[in-house]
Amino acid sequence: MSLLELKNVSKIYGELKALDNINIHVDKGEWVAIMGPSGSGKSTMMNIIGCMDKPTVGEVLLDGVDISKESSKNLTDIRRDKIGLVFQQFHMVGYLTAVENVMVSQYYHSMPDEEEALEALGRVGLRERAKHLPSQLSGGEQQRVCVARALINHPELILADEPTGNLDEANENIVLDLFRQLHDEGTTLIVVTHDPEVAEAAQRTIVLEHGRVAREVINENFGK
Amino acid sequence: MTKRKMFLRMITASLLRRRSRMLIALLSIAIGATILSGLVTIYYDVPRQMGAQFRSYGANMILLPEDGGALTQASMDRALSAVPAENLVGATPYRYVRLDMTSRQQSFTTAGTVFAEVQKTSPYFSVEGEYPQGSKEILVGKEIADTIGVKAGSYIQLTYRPSVTVHENASDDWVPGASLSGSAEGFNAGIVVVEATLDEDAKIASITVDASSQTEEIGGQVATDRNFLARFIGQSLPLTLGEDVDAVSGATVSSQAVVDALNNSRSADSGTTVTEQSGYFNVTGILVTGGEEESYIFMSLEDLEKLTRDDSLDVAELSISANADQLDGYAAAINESGEGVTAKLVKRVTRSETAVLGKLQALVFLVTVVVLLLTTICVSTTMMAVVSERRREIGLRKALGAPDSSIRAEFLGEGMFLGGLGGLLGAALGFVFAQVVSVNVFGSSITFQPLLLPITLVVSMLIAAVSCLLPIKRAVAIDPALVLKGE
Repeated sequence: MSLLELKNVSKIYGELKALDNINIHVDKGEWVAIMGPSGSGKSTMMNIIGCMDKPTVGEVLLDGVDISKESSKNLTDIRRDKIGLVFQQFHMVGYLTAVENVMVSQYYHSMPDEEEALEALGRVGLRERAKHLPSQLSGGEQQRVCVARALINHPELILADEPTGNLDEANENIVLDLFRQLHDEGTTLIVVTHDPEVAEAAQRTIVLEHGRVAREVINENFGK
Repeated sequence: MTKRKMFLRMITASLLRRRSRMLIALLSIAIGATILSGLVTIYYDVPRQMGAQFRSYGANMILLPEDGGALTQASMDRALSAVPAENLVGATPYRYVRLDMTSRQQSFTTAGTVFAEVQKTSPYFSVEGEYPQGSKEILVGKEIADTIGVKAGSYIQLTYRPSVTVHENASDDWVPGASLSGSAEGFNAGIVVVEATLDEDAKIASITVDASSQTEEIGGQVATDRNFLARFIGQSLPLTLGEDVDAVSGATVSSQAVVDALNNSRSADSGTTVTEQSGYFNVTGILVTGGEEESYIFMSLEDLEKLTRDDSLDVAELSISANADQLDGYAAAINESGEGVTAKLVKRVTRSETAVLGKLQALVFLVTVVVLLLTTICVSTTMMAVVSERRREIGLRKALGAPDSSIRAEFLGEGMFLGGLGGLLGAALGFVFAQVVSVNVFGSSITFQPLLLPITLVVSMLIAAVSCLLPIKRAVAIDPALVLKGE
């Protein structure tokens, strides 16, 4: 059963076709990597899937709802309810502690619950660092907090933009292990990446070139 | 944890953990609030302060006897019932009489008054020494003190002599066998008193002259020169000097006084003779005013009444705490009270008081508005900087699903918190500011207006909120996608 479906999606900026007639579908519980060189349309696609932008043409079905025509207010609601975001630059609120950063996500979603936020931090191995400010955490630790924040509201879809781009190998492995756990629990994962190793961790890789889907690769080694 | 608790936790964290930026906003609000509460305090205190200042220049209303009426302490008190007691700063009665200073043979204008009231209606009076406390104590004007050489602690003798009055029908008393008594002004304003008896033909039978006020070796001879006095015996009144009698050589003025005194004389039996009164007075202080008061002697009304056997008043000076319109109303009420008393405003003072007050208040108001405007701009600029500084954070919050209303609430919350804190600081500092200004400019302290605290708080929060409007608009417009672009 598909969670996400892009039908004939194009995004046009003046002369430039950032996305050119894209057709993609992602099943519930699937782990998909999106690769491609700079300017291939990865970010544009990410924005559209993340409910932060709308396509010029085409339909985007998220959990059966066409989000291509929704108002930005409704898009905010959908993003909050269904999607967990992980960014390349970590993006934490600088003046809030690790646990407070996780609670911000709860705050906008439903109700802040410090116990639950601490459990989520425990899951990414940072329960001891809960009271630390971002400036007191390493890059890898910050990204793990961001993963905890992304999963706290049990989203249908976790959308990660170059999640390991700024991490060393040890931290990259920790984050990928977290993704594996999430996948095993049935969470759908879409990971945008340059890194072939990260792409290989996914079940399937979609490669974009010049705003089009160049090819799709099934990772035969997945789960082995 | 409730959403509200998390909201407060985020706001306090934002304020506490980003101190330097927030301090600037807090400081500008606090300064604005300080000026606001300070100036408002002064604005409301200025009338009181200025009123006191103006009243220190003297009375702003005087009471005079109406034509044909008489002013007394009693009629003055009755007339003053038209003025509310709390507005009446002071009411000083005055009676002016000329008294002779016996040892110097000089006479001075002496004012009978109530010293406790003088200090209220003429606060600018400066006394070297002390104000009189008991009876037989006087203040001497500096000019007189310099002339006659007295200082605080001196004793002087003052004498009241009834003023010379010409009786139109004095001749009615010049009947056979009458005992006559009369007085007239002689040399150097000294009074010459003459007593005479008439024989059965209404001609002068005997004459006694008291010329002790005249220069002893010259004018004084009119009392002792037997040839001069002998010329009066057997004469009929009235007399003319040079025709009926010749003047004592070199004492024409004193001789004329004797003739005048006889022509003024009335029968001792008719009971109009007033004998002179005299007393010793202790000078407790020298009065320095820089004005005409320096040529007066001041004593209590009681003492003056004992000397003169008269309790009438010439004028009363009033100091009333009121604006020009109210004063007009009080004056009209007194004039209509039917006490035989006329009230007049000392217009110069009351008019200028009202005019200066109006201008001063307008100025303070203008400055307050400008300061509030500047504060708004300053806080707005700071909040604008805060927003651009936190673009990524705002983008992140929106990416995490924050609705616009939430972003608005967070910034408004921070702004209001700053406004409240700044207002609190400002209210306290403003009172200190107003106190300093008041002490330095007006020389008196002010009382704290409790109402000013909530007013300052509300205005500060309002200004903070208004200052946040534009920055919030910017914040809401931030695109959440920017957090993905690796900015």
